[in-house]
Amino acid sequence: MPETQTIVSVKNLKKKFGELTAVNDISFEVKGGEVFGILGPNGAGKTTTLEIIETLQSATSGEVLVDGINITEHPWEVKRRIGVQLQSSGFYPQLTLVELLKMFGTLYGVQVHPHTELRKFQLDDKARSYVEKLSGGQRQRFSLATTLINKPNLIFLDEPTTGLDPQARVNLWDTIREINRDGVTVVMTTHYMQEAEELCDRIAIMDNGKIIKTGTPHQLIEELLSTGFSRHEEVKKATLEDVFLHLTGRTIRDE
Amino acid sequence: MSEAKNKQNTEPGWGEQIPKIWSMAFYSLRAQLRNPATFAFGFIFPIVFISVFGLISSSGGLSIKLGVADSVSKQTPISQALNRVQTIKVDRGEESALRTELLRGKLDGLITTTQGDYYDSRSPATIKLEVSNANPQQAGAVQSILSGVIDKMNLQASGVVDPPFKLTINQVAGREFRYIDFTLPGMIGFALLSTAIFNTAFGLIFLKKTLVLKRIFATPTKPLSIILGQGLARLISAVLQTVLILAFGVLVFKFHLASGWVTFFEMLLISSLGLIVFLGFGLFISGISSDENSVAPLANLITLPQFLLSGTFFSTEAFPKIVQPIANNLPLSYLNSAMRKVATEGATLAEIWPYLAGLLIWGIVAYLLAARTFKWQ
Repeated sequence: MPETQTIVSVKNLKKKFGELTAVNDISFEVKGGEVFGILGPNGAGKTTTLEIIETLQSATSGEVLVDGINITEHPWEVKRRIGVQLQSSGFYPQLTLVELLKMFGTLYGVQVHPHTELRKFQLDDKARSYVEKLSGGQRQRFSLATTLINKPNLIFLDEPTTGLDPQARVNLWDTIREINRDGVTVVMTTHYMQEAEELCDRIAIMDNGKIIKTGTPHQLIEELLSTGFSRHEEVKKATLEDVFLHLTGRTIRDE
Repeated sequence: MSEAKNKQNTEPGWGEQIPKIWSMAFYSLRAQLRNPATFAFGFIFPIVFISVFGLISSSGGLSIKLGVADSVSKQTPISQALNRVQTIKVDRGEESALRTELLRGKLDGLITTTQGDYYDSRSPATIKLEVSNANPQQAGAVQSILSGVIDKMNLQASGVVDPPFKLTINQVAGREFRYIDFTLPGMIGFALLSTAIFNTAFGLIFLKKTLVLKRIFATPTKPLSIILGQGLARLISAVLQTVLILAFGVLVFKFHLASGWVTFFEMLLISSLGLIVFLGFGLFISGISSDENSVAPLANLITLPQFLLSGTFFSTEAFPKIVQPIANNLPLSYLNSAMRKVATEGATLAEIWPYLAGLLIWGIVAYLLAARTFKWQ
């Protein structure tokens, strides 16, 4: 698939909950092969937008195409093609990782080799654990394993690194990059700017249900600078996060 | 892209859904059985209840505790006559102490003094019996046994060797009705209702809150398949409960199955029907409650009156006339009555159709309510 092909197309999407307009007439496109970030403060409408594209909520108006398929007309086909990671994990607490993978395998109608899948995400020694017993980073990696179970070429990640410590976050970024390198388009939400800058090819900034800006991180920064903006402080070559990771190491601590 | 469009098929067919329903049922059942609360409510509680009621009933039989004051000599004819009555257990002691016992209800009667230990023609011996009005049944029994004893003594004293009226008693070989025969079917009903209401209502709210349902929604699984899978899990668990309760009752307390295996399978069928009906109420509650806090009162509102009024622990015949029409027409009452008729009287399913029909009508009501209120999110 050429990189320029549109894989998600959202046109004039609107979602109202009674009086409240959660998503207010937004339009954007996601290109095949990219990591697309939706940024915004809590309550901006990021999750609602994602869930509408994932066919988990219905839109009030507007049109969404996934892989050229209209999601309202063919929700089942869309469900089969995409991978979904919800904001919190969404797994039976009393089932082991192997059992959960088998269950999702059947629900997607695909053959699963749970141990192979777990090995890919460095979770092979946790096969018989319950999700509750996993650390935050392990939980998100397991969640990614279930997201990829139906071999989708498009996945949606809702705030995948929220609540993780810096090591686990950096580790998860690597995992997401690897997945993307294998040809999977990633649409993710976040409210960490550094994460967007590190991971995303293009971002859309959302506030109050509207997309106020779209572009590559570099473009957006340049655009801001061209207006004459400058930081109050001199920009340092390193951030406090770099200091922290330098002092505590990059190895993840959850094993 | 054009290839992608060709693959578009709308709704998944049911053939494809069946393994999904099974998988939902299987893993949901597994998760449930690993949940200590479900396990306790569904499997341990009924067994504990049956044990308690089984033990109560096995200590049954009429027994009367009669206090005899020390002032009554052991040599008096009345003392000796009482020793020969099997149903009476004589408790000897100081008169005032025994009276306190009588007032406390620990004794059923108290014999105090006889005026003169032995009778003679001039002054008849007077045997004084005190009974408490706290327990009229036992008091009545003491009185009639004692008057029988005294009549006999009088006949002997009057020298009647061959009385003109004689009572012969013929015992027919009826089946002993034991409390366990009453409680066990009720226990099955109790377990079914708890599983269906608490487990379903709390379970679904929990699955919604933890996004388990939403995550499954994101897969190509039909909503109805999810509900069917969840229902099937509970159905299997309910059948397991019934089997366990019946096995325990039969093996430990000699619970009597009127027609053996036929009765066993009939009871399993009634359990399944009952569970399906009660599930409707569970779904309804999870539909109208927003979180766990509102589930508890609603679930109790539906289950508690039924536990009390539906003849689970004691017969509905004990209720006042006004309450009876309600007590006899609750969903659990229909289930309990159907179970008892089948278990102890050996009624066939065809014979108990009114109860099954009653249950079904409740089921339709429940599912109509559930369909109107059910929310996925």
